[in-house]
Amino acid sequence: MTARPPERPEPLDAGLAAAQEALVRAMTAGGPLPDGFDAGDVAAAARAILGKRAGDTARAWPALAASYGGGWTDAFAAWAAERPTRGSLRDGWDFARAHHADLPAAARTELAVAEARWSYGGDREPRRRLLAVRRVPGGLAVQVRGRLRVVRRRTMV
Amino acid sequence: MTRPPGTPGGGPGGPGGPGGLGIGIGWRPEISGFVGGLPGLGFTEVIAESVHLGHPPRDLLALRDRGVRIVPHGVRLSLGGAEPVAPERVAHLAACAEALGAPLVSEHVAFVRAGGIEAGHLLPVPRTRASLDVLTANIRRTQDGLPVPLAVEPIAALFEWPDAEYDEGAFLTELLERTGALLLLDVANVYANARNRGEDPAALLDRLPLERVAYCHVAGGAERGGRYHDTHTAPVPRAVLDLVGELCARRRPPGLLLERDGRYPPAAELRAELDAIAAAAGMDPVTAPGPAAGAA
Repeated sequence: MTARPPERPEPLDAGLAAAQEALVRAMTAGGPLPDGFDAGDVAAAARAILGKRAGDTARAWPALAASYGGGWTDAFAAWAAERPTRGSLRDGWDFARAHHADLPAAARTELAVAEARWSYGGDREPRRRLLAVRRVPGGLAVQVRGRLRVVRRRTMV
Repeated sequence: MTRPPGTPGGGPGGPGGPGGLGIGIGWRPEISGFVGGLPGLGFTEVIAESVHLGHPPRDLLALRDRGVRIVPHGVRLSLGGAEPVAPERVAHLAACAEALGAPLVSEHVAFVRAGGIEAGHLLPVPRTRASLDVLTANIRRTQDGLPVPLAVEPIAALFEWPDAEYDEGAFLTELLERTGALLLLDVANVYANARNRGEDPAALLDRLPLERVAYCHVAGGAERGGRYHDTHTAPVPRAVLDLVGELCARRRPPGLLLERDGRYPPAAELRAELDAIAAAAGMDPVTAPGPAAGAA
């Protein structure tokens, strides 16, 4: 029997728990499809969830999504297909970090502002910072106790 | 002063039922102004997980104060999950009900996570005795923590589990009998499932205990790749309105609520959709002042 993390309670039904976990892994984490399911139907449901996640992430990260134009849903879905959601804030954050080099200025500014507001190591929920300064394209993002200003240099570099 | 019921047939939905609710629309921040501007609105619904109890949306409190009934609608309790429902999630749902003066709360016959992995949406449960046992245990735990009745909603699903031991009607009927929960019947989900399975949607209506319906959802969807998706981002199709009519011919529910979750149309289109639902159900429209409006 595998050890369970302490924060997760014992299941009410171990067999059903295992069956549900296998299905969720197949739909979100690249796991094999359990026996007896219709592969086309499950794939359609998984794809619908990716579309919903893309929409939720676009609402949390509008500049990031806008930088992909009409290709956002496909780009996000390709990246997220085997990454289970950790909420739209973290999904967008992880996506933006993974694609940082390719992002236009507006999306990089959005990411820098988030980095200035929150401390996020990638493995736990983001936490608010009291004070931070981050470089953004053309200036600095300065955050003090939740109040944020973006200071632009006079000449864009 | 007692409120007149929203409909002639809209008595209590069952023992402890919420009574007549009339026509409603789901409250979302993006359409808050529209919802608040509906003069005859009898009830609305808010996604429970979106409510910060420290600072609930002011517009929502204004609706509560003018007598609009607000139903907290949970989406992440995972009542059908094989793990016990999380006490802090039940507590949040209960606190939402208290803060909003809710007549009832609602959740889904579904699971949303397993083994610590979030699925990202509502997933169907197998229609087996083991699954019924788990749902029963989780619904009872939830009911024990709530100050108001719980209604549970069968979901739209694009796939089914193998080896079902019950058909959908028998499964839901036994669940409601075991738990005493009310039914939140989503007419669009009934339509979507029947269409994708090649079945007659009206046939399921004959297999469900309609006297236990607390209220109904109505929504639009879209066909993609040969499957009907219940997206809540498109107009309500004529076939769903027809099914509302079929339902009301059997037994009129205490309330019907339009769900819209994106691609919000102009106000005139939303008003027309609400009026079309009211017409299909034979209820008073909420887009004009009516007897169901909260008295000043």
